[in-house]
Amino acid sequence: MTKDKTFTLITEAVREILPELADRDLSESDTLDALGANSMDRAEIVMTVLEEMDLDIPLVETHGPQNLGELAQHLSDTAAAKAR
Amino acid sequence: MRHPAGLVVTGLGVTTAVGQGKTAFTDALFAGAHRFAVMERPGRQLGTRFVGAELPVPKPTSRLGARELRTASLTGQVALTTLEEAWTEAGLDGYDADRVGLVIGGSNLQQRELVLAQDRHRAKPRFLRPSYGLSYLDSDLCGLCTTAFGIRGFAHTVGGASASGQLAVIEAAEAVASGRVDVCVALGALADLSHWELLGLRAMGAMAAEDHADAPAEACRPFDQGRSGFVYGEACAALVVERAGARPDAPAPYARLSGWSVRLDGNRDPNPSLDGETAAIRGALDHAGLTARDIDYVNPHGTASPAGDTTEVAALKACGLTHAAVNATKSITGHGLTAAGAVEAAAALLQLRQGRLHPTRNLTDPIDDAPHWVRDAAVEADIQHCLSLSMGFGGINTALCLSACDA
Repeated sequence: MTKDKTFTLITEAVREILPELADRDLSESDTLDALGANSMDRAEIVMTVLEEMDLDIPLVETHGPQNLGELAQHLSDTAAAKAR
Repeated sequence: MRHPAGLVVTGLGVTTAVGQGKTAFTDALFAGAHRFAVMERPGRQLGTRFVGAELPVPKPTSRLGARELRTASLTGQVALTTLEEAWTEAGLDGYDADRVGLVIGGSNLQQRELVLAQDRHRAKPRFLRPSYGLSYLDSDLCGLCTTAFGIRGFAHTVGGASASGQLAVIEAAEAVASGRVDVCVALGALADLSHWELLGLRAMGAMAAEDHADAPAEACRPFDQGRSGFVYGEACAALVVERAGARPDAPAPYARLSGWSVRLDGNRDPNPSLDGETAAIRGALDHAGLTARDIDYVNPHGTASPAGDTTEVAALKACGLTHAAVNATKSITGHGLTAAGAVEAAAALLQLRQGRLHPTRNLTDPIDDAPHWVRDAAVEADIQHCLSLSMGFGGINTALCLSACDA
C-alpha cells in the first residue's frame, strides 16, 4: 500500500476516533498528541488502520513515528517488507 | 430502632422503555402502559424471538465530548442520561466533589456489546480494538460517570444479580450514614443482555418462553396464574441519597430511607427462600422502627417467575402485610434485572409523592386473593410507609423501607 493511501486511511481513522476533528484538514506534519489524542485514542487509531491494511504487527512497533506522515511512511514500508 | 441518620432521597432519574425521564415514566405507570414486543436490538436474536421492552437510545449528554461518547456503551449512555436527571434535580453541580460518591448496581452489564465486538473480530482477533480492554469492565461505567460529573469521593459497582439496584441504594445509604461522603448517588444500571444471556435465562426456566411473540402485550404477568417467567425490560434509575437538611439549597426530599435489610440464604441457586424473604422484610421494618401494620404499600419483586411470585406472596402473608396495597411495576417496565431494585424504589417514591398507586398489567387471575392487589386502574393512596423488595439469584434478599418525610 502506498504512503498516500496509508495516510488517507490514517486521516479517516483519526476522524472516526476523534470526531471533533471531522471538519479539520489534517496534514502529514500533524502529531496525534497535538490533535488531542490520548494513549487509548492513539492505540485505537493505529489498530483501526492496521485492520484496514490487514497488517498484523504489534502496536509497540508503531511507536517510533513522530507525526502522521512518518506513521504513514512507516506502516507503508512495514507492509511492503512483510509482503516480500 | 429508627435509623438515626435521617437519610432522604433528593433526586431521581429514570429511563425505561415506557418512559424516559420521571414525568413520562410516572404517566406511563399510572396509565399501565407497556412497550413489550419481539426484541430487535442487534445481538439479541440468534434465531430467537424473545419478547422484551427496549428503550430508545437517549440523546447524548452535553457533559462529555463526541470522543468520549463514541465508545460509551448503551448501558453507559443510559447511565449518563439517568444520572443527569437525578443530579440536576438534586442541584449537585458545584457541590464539593470530594464529598460525593457513586454506587453502580449490577455486574456483567454490557454483554450484548461485548458479543457484538467479539463477533466483529472473530475472524481477525488480533485487530480487536484496544478500547475493549476498558469496556469489558463494569467499572468503566464508573469511569464514564465520574468523568462526566466530576465525582471524586468514591465510585464502585456492587453485584447482587436482580437485587443489584436495591443493593446500590442500600450501599449509598450506608456510605452517607457512615460519613464517608455527604451525598451518594445510587444507580441501577441497564443490564444489556445478549442472546446468550437470554437463552441461558430461558433454559433455566426463569424467563418467559418465545411463545408470546404473537401476543407480546400479554407476556408479562406477575402474580397471575398464567405467568411463565419474567419478561426482560431495559431500564435504569438513579437516586440521590443524602442527610436531611445537610445542604441548604437541596430540593424537598421525596421521602426518607427509613430502614433496610440484606439477608442471604446461603444458596448458590436461583430458587427463592421464604425464610430469606421474611427475614429481609422483618429486618427492614425493625431497622425503621416500624411494624407490618405501619406499611401502606409494598412494591414487590414480582417478576412473574412461577416459584418466585408464590414465595413472595407467602412472605407477605407470613409478615402480616396482606392489608397493604401491592402492585407489580415489572408488569409495566419488564424486568430490568440489575436496574430493577433502583427503578422500583424510584417508582415507589414517585407514587408516594403523587399519592397514587399504579395498576398491575395482566393480573386477571391472581395466584392468591390475600394481598390487596392494585389491578386494573390506578388508585388514590395516602402512603406514609412503604416497602420495596428485591431478590437475586444466589440467595440474595433485600428490603427497603421508604417513609413520608412527615411520617
